[in-house]
Amino acid sequence: MKTKEILRQKRHFHSKRYGIGLLFMLPWLIGFCIFVAIPIGWSIFMSLHKVTVVPGGFKYERFGMQNFKDAFVVDNIFPIELITYIQQMLLMVPIIVIFALLISLMLNQRFPGRFIYRAIFFLPVIFATGQVLSELFTQGAGDIPFLEQYDLQPMVEKYVGLQFATTVMDVLSRVVLILWYSGVQILIFIAGFQTISPTIYEAVRIDGASPWDSFWKITLPASIPFISLNVLYTIIDLFTFPLNPVLQHIRDNMFKIDTGYGYASALAWIYFAFIFVLIALVLWLFNRSMNARRNRS
Amino acid sequence: MNTRLWFEKFGSQVRGVFWSRTAQRIKVVLLGRSISDGLLAKLILYLLLSIVAYLYVQPILYMISTALKPLSDLLDPTVKWIPRVVTWENVTTAIKGLKYPEALRNTALIAISCSIVQVLICAMTGYALAKLTVPFKGLITALVIMTFLIPPQIIIIPLYVIYSKLSLLNTIFVFLIPAIFGQGLKSALFILIFRQFFKSQPLSLEEAAKLDGASTARLFFGIMLPLARSACLVVFLFSFIWYWNMYYEPSWFLSDNFTPLSIRLDRLEDVLNPSLLGQRNTIDNPATESSKMAAAFMIILPPIVVFMFLQRWFVSGIERTGIVE
Repeated sequence: MKTKEILRQKRHFHSKRYGIGLLFMLPWLIGFCIFVAIPIGWSIFMSLHKVTVVPGGFKYERFGMQNFKDAFVVDNIFPIELITYIQQMLLMVPIIVIFALLISLMLNQRFPGRFIYRAIFFLPVIFATGQVLSELFTQGAGDIPFLEQYDLQPMVEKYVGLQFATTVMDVLSRVVLILWYSGVQILIFIAGFQTISPTIYEAVRIDGASPWDSFWKITLPASIPFISLNVLYTIIDLFTFPLNPVLQHIRDNMFKIDTGYGYASALAWIYFAFIFVLIALVLWLFNRSMNARRNRS
Repeated sequence: MNTRLWFEKFGSQVRGVFWSRTAQRIKVVLLGRSISDGLLAKLILYLLLSIVAYLYVQPILYMISTALKPLSDLLDPTVKWIPRVVTWENVTTAIKGLKYPEALRNTALIAISCSIVQVLICAMTGYALAKLTVPFKGLITALVIMTFLIPPQIIIIPLYVIYSKLSLLNTIFVFLIPAIFGQGLKSALFILIFRQFFKSQPLSLEEAAKLDGASTARLFFGIMLPLARSACLVVFLFSFIWYWNMYYEPSWFLSDNFTPLSIRLDRLEDVLNPSLLGQRNTIDNPATESSKMAAAFMIILPPIVVFMFLQRWFVSGIERTGIVE
């Protein structure tokens, strides 16, 4: 009898605790169902159908995997754009992350006027998204002059091969805008550096380590989690880059009569799958390097 | 012969010493913790930072300079940065073309209301994930991260249909209602930021409050939320800026009268030059370039002003929130 009473009380206590937690989570849970889960399910459904717009709604025609097949077999633009953009991303991500690392290392130093510099480097966060950026880009405000002045194209072709030369040149030609994409990453790095205890640096300095050593032995290993975080963030951020040709292609196909929403959804899912593989790969690599480090120490 | 040999040897030695020194200095600049040694180190640091800062600021300067140029200066290749005659005509054209006051009001309404809601809801959700008992917490956290990965392009059509069924299109509620339900712009990121922050708070604080008889709601709104001031500011600013700049979603959901600045900038060419309607290839039309730059600058001006006022707290807030683990 007594144990039963205790159990009942215990259950009551738990349900109350669960209740409060659920209450806090409730808005998100409802929102997730309405604004994420249903649309995702619907989008998958559409990608498996040929969707035509008829007055008063959509007409679905069973299509199976045909949309996905068409993307690679019939569509002769999409695969090329997809591969090109992923190539560009593979080049852009390291540029952004390494640049952000260098800048944040410099900004992390103590020197007079660093607040001004910090403000400047966070400025792109304000407008590196959206329409202003593409407006600037179409007008060539992000160009760097030396690209044409020194005629780098042949040199690039010589070093990386014809196949990747256009990719490299594309990325180089908008390098300023790419650097603008490192605002948030710089913030993450700076915040990350704060978590490294300054006493470690003092200790190794007393032991006679040069700044060079302390960078390679302390700062870099300690920032591996932030590097991985930044790589992930950059991939996701570039995923919806406003000048992204893949997204443009998807959008174009939504409004074409012969392809429509079903095909566009299929394209979007293919794109998502590619990025997802990329993200999974990054996570796996970083996990491995972290584990290796942990095993060594 | 002998002297020449000696000279070369001496030269290479000097060069060696010189290079090793410079390398050392550069190392110190880039990687040193003890930056205080040497003026050269500081100079190089300033130089590097200034070069990159110049690259960063250059497009903004370009924007301002082009916005103030009359057409004759724009076409004149000898005029590069400073216009011969400063004209305000472009600015007035841009204000008219954007219907600036109205669009500014729309944009500000969306950005401010949604980001306030975001702060509150994301803080609540983050707190629940960090400190409260929620069934399937791990799964929910994974779902939160997943919503960050799902590109808007995948779900935009279903969302469009849902909003049109609820007849929310062309109202602010298209953005406000998802934000209330924790699905605002990049809300997953904000939830994770708050989760991280609340996780780092000591448990004893809560226990003390609980012993004093505070309810969870009281504890959250009275103690935790005020504690998270810096995280709130960071989330508010990011959310504000991202809502201010968003283009993709409004281009779907807002089309009639209720349009934000970003959409109007995109349509500015058509408004200024109705004869070219539909010919999107003629984007770098010099006749409207100045006005478009003026418009672009006026769009980012309000967030820049907000940022300038708040940046000191913003930066120190970021450092203190422990956004990262």
